Amino acid sequence: MPVITISRQNGSLGDELARYLADKTGTRVVTRNDLIRDLWGGIEGDIPAKLSESPKFYLNCPPDSDKSYCVLLAEEIRRVANDTHNVVFLGMGASIVLEGTDAVRVRVIASDSVRAQRTCKADNITLEEADTILTLADRKHKRFVSTLYGVDLTDDTLYDLTLNSDHLSVEEMSDSVLALAAKRELRSRIRRETMTDDSVDHQSQMPVFKNESEAEFARILDMYKIEWLYEPKTFPIEWDAEGNVTMAFSPDFYLPKFDLYLELTTMEQKYVTKKNKKMRKVQELYPGTNIRIVYKKDFAELIDRLRQFGG
Amino acid sequence: MEFESDNIKRILISEEDIIKRTNEIGAQITEDYKDDPPVVIGVIKGALYFFADLTRRIDLPVAIDMIGFGNIPDTTSNTGVVRITKDIDIDITGRRVIIVEDVIRTGLTTAYLISNLETKKPRDINVATMLYNPDRVLLPVPVKYVGFEITDGWLMGYGLDVREKGRNIPYIVELKSKP
Repeated sequence: MPVITISRQNGSLGDELARYLADKTGTRVVTRNDLIRDLWGGIEGDIPAKLSESPKFYLNCPPDSDKSYCVLLAEEIRRVANDTHNVVFLGMGASIVLEGTDAVRVRVIASDSVRAQRTCKADNITLEEADTILTLADRKHKRFVSTLYGVDLTDDTLYDLTLNSDHLSVEEMSDSVLALAAKRELRSRIRRETMTDDSVDHQSQMPVFKNESEAEFARILDMYKIEWLYEPKTFPIEWDAEGNVTMAFSPDFYLPKFDLYLELTTMEQKYVTKKNKKMRKVQELYPGTNIRIVYKKDFAELIDRLRQFGG
Repeated sequence: MEFESDNIKRILISEEDIIKRTNEIGAQITEDYKDDPPVVIGVIKGALYFFADLTRRIDLPVAIDMIGFGNIPDTTSNTGVVRITKDIDIDITGRRVIIVEDVIRTGLTTAYLISNLETKKPRDINVATMLYNPDRVLLPVPVKYVGFEITDGWLMGYGLDVREKGRNIPYIVELKSKP
């Protein structure tokens, strides 16, 4: 599971979401206080307290260091993300620090009225008091991120996913985040593979099926709740003397759970020699790649059996 | 036997061969699971007879259950949706599980069942199937016990039906053409 960062408004259920995600994925929530304690907890004096209270203090350098607290905090966030891979960062601008990585960056918000109601219920205070507390908290969060990283934390482009918890439960939000995280992990794996061999990553393209059989097959996979990607990769298999690709193979479907590529053919079995040859070449050139051809007969029988019962 | 009698090409697997092979698989499962008797789950309806015969050949205190699923029409899809129509009643958390199938062709339904049962956190899941067509399998499923390997062909008997008939024939016949 990739690293998840949660940026949240107070009263938005963001803290609850972070804890729930950590429980579900068997990992831990890392907060600013955790990192301050780990990095500077041993320092005597009031430095940890100042770091907890004043964003501007992060622009100073600790004794015996030419890097600011801000830079050191960002480095520590990157180190924890790299070392553990599976962790939930709560707040502290981790979404900004981990931009461009595989981290799933989530922002949790809610309307002012819902946040105020939640806060006054949780803290046993009046609505007016809750409003005041939330206004101050919003301002502090914004100032922290703006001072340390020079960006506006309410900028939607900083996040992969923004959730409005007015009508969403923690569990519903968690389902969305985990679904995105699972896809991100898969996409990252394919991207890494394409960086180390000659295959080409097509994942940013929208699936456009070439024929009705492919669309039907996708529906069958959906029906069986089998996750699939459509033509996520192209495997070059022949090159000319100058190294230009002269032949390539893009299997129609990839089933991540089975690490299996499927090529659907609507041709009669005897006419698929070329496809079989391509498939063998991919297996030779890209060892460990599992590809199977779904022949027209297999597909027709599958459809037929599904009409009766199952495959 | 009147049903489809003109369309029967040959007896593909005799009753004697079925009994012999079922005894062998039962003995193998008894040996493999002697330290931790499994929960054996039969898939309704095709595996009914194989499941009944096989479980009686396992000389261990196994728990048995059955699971059923079907293709249910859905307004949002032409193909419909697959749904569990009869779920298991036994808690399989931490238990060893054997799914008993009648036939595995593409492996799609078996993969679906495994995914579904995996959510109940068993210790492991293996599959015993009476018939297995290795040329047709698309998805790798953990088939540990195979009664007989088959090739293409329309089959009937010992649980396999043609329009819900022919399941109770005690052997397996190959039909001449698609019924």
